[in-house]
Amino acid sequence: MARILLVEDDELVRDMLVQVLQRASHTVISAADGEEASEILKKEHPDIMITDIIMPKKSGITLISEVINRHPAMEIIAISGGGRLDPMGYLDLSESLGAAVSFEKPIDNAALLMAIDLLVHGKHETSA
Amino acid sequence: MAMVALAGFACGLVPALFFWQEAKRRQQALNIMAASFQQEIADRAETEESRKKLEKALLQGQKLQAIGTLAGGIAHDFNNILYAIMGYVEMAEEDLPKESPMSRNLAKVLQGAKRGQELVSRILAFSRRQHHDLQILDLREALEGALDLLRPTIPASVTVQTDFAEGSYPIHGNQTLLHQIMVNLVTNAVDAMEGEGTIHVTLDRIPANHLLLADLPEAPGGYCRIRVSDTGHGMDRATQERIFEPFFTTKEPGRGTGLGLSTVHSLVAEHHGEIMVDSTPLHGTTFTLLLPLHSEITKKGENSYGQNTVG
Repeated sequence: MARILLVEDDELVRDMLVQVLQRASHTVISAADGEEASEILKKEHPDIMITDIIMPKKSGITLISEVINRHPAMEIIAISGGGRLDPMGYLDLSESLGAAVSFEKPIDNAALLMAIDLLVHGKHETSA
Repeated sequence: MAMVALAGFACGLVPALFFWQEAKRRQQALNIMAASFQQEIADRAETEESRKKLEKALLQGQKLQAIGTLAGGIAHDFNNILYAIMGYVEMAEEDLPKESPMSRNLAKVLQGAKRGQELVSRILAFSRRQHHDLQILDLREALEGALDLLRPTIPASVTVQTDFAEGSYPIHGNQTLLHQIMVNLVTNAVDAMEGEGTIHVTLDRIPANHLLLADLPEAPGGYCRIRVSDTGHGMDRATQERIFEPFFTTKEPGRGTGLGLSTVHSLVAEHHGEIMVDSTPLHGTTFTLLLPLHSEITKKGENSYGQNTVG
């Protein structure tokens, strides 16, 4: 099972996702924005980072480009609620920056869990 | 003596008769002139009224743009809220024995949330103002194509009459979007007539210097005018003023989303055109669309429409 850093500014969504991920036997560390996530990443080394895109302080886009440079082995999943500008544009951008998968909220959690399994599995296979 | 008097009378009578006839002729000429003046005043008043409507339509466009931006912002927050609801409900369902009344009710909560999700995606589609590919096409052909596709869906008790003025109608447009515009307008017309009546679709050209176009961006070739009229129940002024607003609907709950005409409005705007409405309660409604004619090709000499007289 994976160690996951969850970055999400909406408290309800964050709490719900922490529970969903823990139920699937993942270990979850959570952060409320990009800045908090950067702090956590100084000490922790999760396998996967799931990050929202539109967040205060530091956006998901900035966070993703940072992580790609500093932690190239970490898998990234981008999630966004759409609106503001063009949500698909943001998700496309995060994928071209290096996110492995992206989801538009509301997300089908079964699909999200499956994507996590595939990423972790793929990683073990390549490292084995 | 009598002869002289008679001759004198006759001498006086002839010019009098002549003057009387002349006066009558002038009177007739004046009457014709008065009538033509009256007609011109009526025409001008009508054009002025149309212009005022257009001014209003342009204002409405700005309002819609603001609503679109607002909707985009709300949609983002709404997706988060819905996602939280759906996630928690799914977990609660997992913890409950299947087929329990509580689990069945939770499934209903989920159903409601999914309906919310669909609505938000429609709002987003509206607010995103997607950039579709526009190409040069003939509006007349596009309209005929759209109506051909629509015909099977129109009840037999509704007659569709078309009246397309001769000539070609090159515009910068998108066939799919034009189709969407016509589907919305015709479906609305069918609904307004409760499935019985006549829909009249006309197409003609408005020359560039026409007063009606004074407030529109300049198009050297003028504009195409599409009119879709129905013989339905019509609507009052207050309704007319709001029909292009998103979520405004007069249909009973569940029958209309209130997004049809606001979508039409944004699609027409994408074609750099304008849409106006004119309606009389109990008599019917007319939607007028103005789309700029594409004239660059004729200027460049790459005339693909066989109209060498233009420009």
